[in-house]
Amino acid sequence: MTSTETLDTTFTRVLSAAAAARPFVLALAGVGLALALSGLLVLGSGKSPLVAYGSLASGALGSRDRIAVALNKATPYLLTATGVALCFRAQVINIGGEGQIAVGGMAATWVALALPAAPAGVLPIVAALVGALAGAAWAALAALVRLTRNVHEVLVTLLMNFIGVLLVSEMLHGELGEPGAGFPQSPLLARAAWLPRLVRGTDLHVGILVAVAAVVAAHLLLWRTPFGFRLRLRGASAHAAIYAGVSMKRSLLSVMLVAGGLAGLAGALDVLGVHYRLIEGFSSGFGFTAVSIALIGGLNPLGVLPAGLFFAFLETGALAMQRAVGVPSPLVLVIQGLTMVFVLAAVALPAPARRA
Amino acid sequence: MLTMRGITKAYGDVRANRGIDFDVPAGRIIGLLGENGSGKTTLMNILFGMVPADAGTIVFRERVLARHTPRGAIAAGISMIHQHFMLVLAMTVTENVMLAWNDDGTWLHHHAVAGRIKEASDAYGLQLDPSALVGELSLGAQQRVEIVKAVLQGAVLLILDEPTSSLSPPEVSVLLGILRRLRNDGCSVVFISHKLSEVLELCDDVIVLRDGAVAGSRPVAGATREDLAYMMVGRELPPPVERSARAPGRELLLVSDLGARDAAGAPRVRGVSFSVREGEVFAIAGVDGNGQGELADIIAGARAPDTGRVFVEGQDVTAASVAERLAAGLAYIPADRASTGLVGVMTIAENLAMRDVGAPPHRRGWWLDRVATRALAETRMAEFGVRARGPEAFAATLSGGNQQKVVLARELGRAPRVVLAVQPTRGLDPGATRFVIEKILALREAGAAVLYVSTELDEILAVADRIAVMYGGRVVGIVRREDADLTRLGLMMAGALEETSSAALAYGLSTSEPAPRPGHRDVH
Amino acid sequence: MEFLAASLRIATPLLFAALGGILSERAGIFAVGLEGMMLAGAFAGVIASQVLGSLGWGLVASVLGGAFVALIVTIATVRFGADQMVTGLAVNILALGLTSFLLRGLFARGEAPIIRVVTLKPLPIPVLADIPVVGPLLFRQPPLTYLAGVAAVAVALFLARTRAGLTLRATGENPHAVFAVGADPARVRVGALLACGALAGLGGAVLSLQQVGTFTDGMTNGRGYIALAAIIVGRWMPLGTFLGCALFGAADALQLRVQGLRLPVSSYVIQMTPYVVALAVLAGLGRSARLPAALGVPFRRERR
Repeated sequence: MTSTETLDTTFTRVLSAAAAARPFVLALAGVGLALALSGLLVLGSGKSPLVAYGSLASGALGSRDRIAVALNKATPYLLTATGVALCFRAQVINIGGEGQIAVGGMAATWVALALPAAPAGVLPIVAALVGALAGAAWAALAALVRLTRNVHEVLVTLLMNFIGVLLVSEMLHGELGEPGAGFPQSPLLARAAWLPRLVRGTDLHVGILVAVAAVVAAHLLLWRTPFGFRLRLRGASAHAAIYAGVSMKRSLLSVMLVAGGLAGLAGALDVLGVHYRLIEGFSSGFGFTAVSIALIGGLNPLGVLPAGLFFAFLETGALAMQRAVGVPSPLVLVIQGLTMVFVLAAVALPAPARRA
Repeated sequence: MLTMRGITKAYGDVRANRGIDFDVPAGRIIGLLGENGSGKTTLMNILFGMVPADAGTIVFRERVLARHTPRGAIAAGISMIHQHFMLVLAMTVTENVMLAWNDDGTWLHHHAVAGRIKEASDAYGLQLDPSALVGELSLGAQQRVEIVKAVLQGAVLLILDEPTSSLSPPEVSVLLGILRRLRNDGCSVVFISHKLSEVLELCDDVIVLRDGAVAGSRPVAGATREDLAYMMVGRELPPPVERSARAPGRELLLVSDLGARDAAGAPRVRGVSFSVREGEVFAIAGVDGNGQGELADIIAGARAPDTGRVFVEGQDVTAASVAERLAAGLAYIPADRASTGLVGVMTIAENLAMRDVGAPPHRRGWWLDRVATRALAETRMAEFGVRARGPEAFAATLSGGNQQKVVLARELGRAPRVVLAVQPTRGLDPGATRFVIEKILALREAGAAVLYVSTELDEILAVADRIAVMYGGRVVGIVRREDADLTRLGLMMAGALEETSSAALAYGLSTSEPAPRPGHRDVH
Repeated sequence: MEFLAASLRIATPLLFAALGGILSERAGIFAVGLEGMMLAGAFAGVIASQVLGSLGWGLVASVLGGAFVALIVTIATVRFGADQMVTGLAVNILALGLTSFLLRGLFARGEAPIIRVVTLKPLPIPVLADIPVVGPLLFRQPPLTYLAGVAAVAVALFLARTRAGLTLRATGENPHAVFAVGADPARVRVGALLACGALAGLGGAVLSLQQVGTFTDGMTNGRGYIALAAIIVGRWMPLGTFLGCALFGAADALQLRVQGLRLPVSSYVIQMTPYVVALAVLAGLGRSARLPAALGVPFRRERR
């Protein structure tokens, strides 16, 4: 190879890396800008941003217990956001996460209550799987409405969120409910149903492993399998996808099933690992936050991992920051919202074109 | 009333208008005749203010028009009706007219505007009901809504760009009648078309453009169709490209009595039958919009025909999906490479693998074999001379010529038996065009059956063995390359000549015995 | 009767938000950010009333608060072409955080202060309020409720009868047609979004200044999303949306009373009903005949 050829290959590699890194860079820039602006807010309220962020960090990372809480919180985020990322990649705008999580948690609870005598190793697995199936079915319902009546899935999944959450409340006041409790919740699940702890002495349950495994599996699915290729093709160009033999309808249904399954699993793990019962409103806000995380992660499963962890750690440290420094915990919502807005605006700008 | 002098416009290397002079007196209908690429649409876009000219002057009603916008053109009294209407389908006729109204009141005057619409409709025979929903109107009626908009905006010069391409014959008569009444009322009309019969029937004068320049200009009275057709397409025949004489082999592609209607029920393809044999190129010539696009979609599998069948290597693929046809050996080079042929945000390697991703070598068990894909991409890129930074380059960063090479590489790389190529050289520079032609001829050498659909007569004459002309959804004539007569082809493309072709010509049968003389009749 | 009054009360903030949402969506922008706009309006209203001492200023502030959130959405979507729906979600989260943060940050040391403002009192209309049955129900309402009714009529008239309304509707159907007549679809959308924010802000004011008298974290509690559903039920038309809001109001009022009325149906099923109705309306539309055709599609000018 001549020197110009070597230079060219290196150049290609750098440019491709830059192209691949672009979403990551944008996300970092968005986070940075959001932190800076929020820091100004903190300053305006008379506190030091550095101290505030410091206590935020220590509140999230400062001890094993805190990290455990954060990772537990990250689990449903990672699972749901991964599913959303896959959907959005395929141009399927599924915002039904909250309903799918709720239904998944409900199904898992039902299994756990119905089979208290099952062996401890098996029960959580069965319950989680059923939860995933329930979430998948809920998503499939929305997909079917979309496909048969030709209405945009955004509207359908949005409405199904409400219906799913209300369905769970309905069940909690009926068969799944705990009579005499002051609050709509199910009876405490049998110990056999609880997810095992990952690290003894902390609250951290094995769900985080499942979440990370799901992220990795989704990454492989999207980038290393023909199925994932077809999803990406469908999202990039419907015309080209049709000519390549991709069925628009089947691919929509399959990706919704996957996303619904992941969200349902998220709900099940939250019930089985954190609350040990079904609580009304446990899924509140998860779905939309998952959309944010998916976006900041560049619609890439591997990007979802840091983004989801970031959001989870922010939320975990929030209360600690409020107690320690007196900076109100809603600041983290400001950081999250600003990050999203900045990333969204930046992502929409076309990448600088490089002509061959 | 209108004087355009020395209009020049170039898009990069392509010179769309070369110093054109164009005059329109008041109260006349001027036909602007020419093939695809002759420059007629560009000229009118310049007049209407949609694109600026590189050089030249425009004087309209004694005022100079320069650097104007469509709004300015409308204000001066020029209205243009494009092939794609700018209408809001969910609104009524009245609301659409009010949208374009120049009056600056806050409140809408439904009643008054509806009254004006009715008046104009009666005066010019537009047959419009002001309260009708535009989305429910036929295309002909929608076009008349555009006309009433122009009339009510005070247009004295009306430009129509290929107005009859989507109309049924009765609607065409209605339109021509309306235009005559407008002319009688003092309005002038510029009628852009490639259809000789209509131009001869309607227009007072005709100007023929070819290759960006005026090829001829004369009153319609006394003009012969042959003169006009020759002006449209007349050129030096290019020297025949070197290629072997081949006896065509067995039939690889057969289409039988294909017919298709569009969403509004108008027929776009009518009774088309032909076959293409091993080792030959069968070209379909004709001006865009005469059914070639729909025909190509049917053969490729993107839409189902209403009647008729398609056979690839003897297999009936009429109901087969695109993927199934590919498996049967059909390759498709679409006209629209940017959105259908390629995916800009994917890499060259991914684009090359797009169709075959579910099978080896790209797939190994459950996984994609990226190493194999990359290796294959490198091979293809070398074979087809794709210049790019590497297989990982994104398709959107390539030049038009290189993009088309990628499409060719993907489609031709697997040595297909039947190839459908639609406008494969559109937007390419001469070097890339030459490359494509060479590849097509190479396919022919290798024994493939090639169906080549194009608006460029030059290319067709260079590659084809048999040439069919489509007009109005039908095949109006088939000739062998050796017998190609430009005037005859021009007449057929302009709808002025229709020949019933023998089976021999349609199906490429052997010509050892003299072909029976085809009957022909002049078409009005 | 008391049930109808309650329905009306619940429906009022929804109506404001939904009217704003109609303006935005008929112009082609999916109004997911309604929740954030309402919340900002509720917050700004209370703060301004407290600080400036009058409810009048509070109302002005609530309009501005909602419009401010709309401005963020505008800049991101119209200027930068960001995805509309996700931007809406983003500002909802942002508004939630910002309002709660400022509530604590501006007044107390990290603790949520209790702000009490005097609420808007019912304003009986002289003669009409004495009509039996209907009078007390319709004409003894606080001022913002009357305003909601007026606003509904105003929006309906605006869309159907004014030139600006026509242009707005056309922008949501076919922005290219609008561009072809010389108007700028981008500017139309900006205007529509800002009006949406203003109306949604008033909806928030109904909550904080008319009903509750204070601001609490996230007090809109999903009403912005409910308004979206009401728009669907009303098929993007003001009159139908009024009915949609009434439906949601009635369902909410009914579910609270279901114990007392001893109905065989669970309160949650009642609450689900409007959403199922919305789904049915959507599905019944089939080919989305009434959905603004260009909803959700950013307008990119084509260089011919």
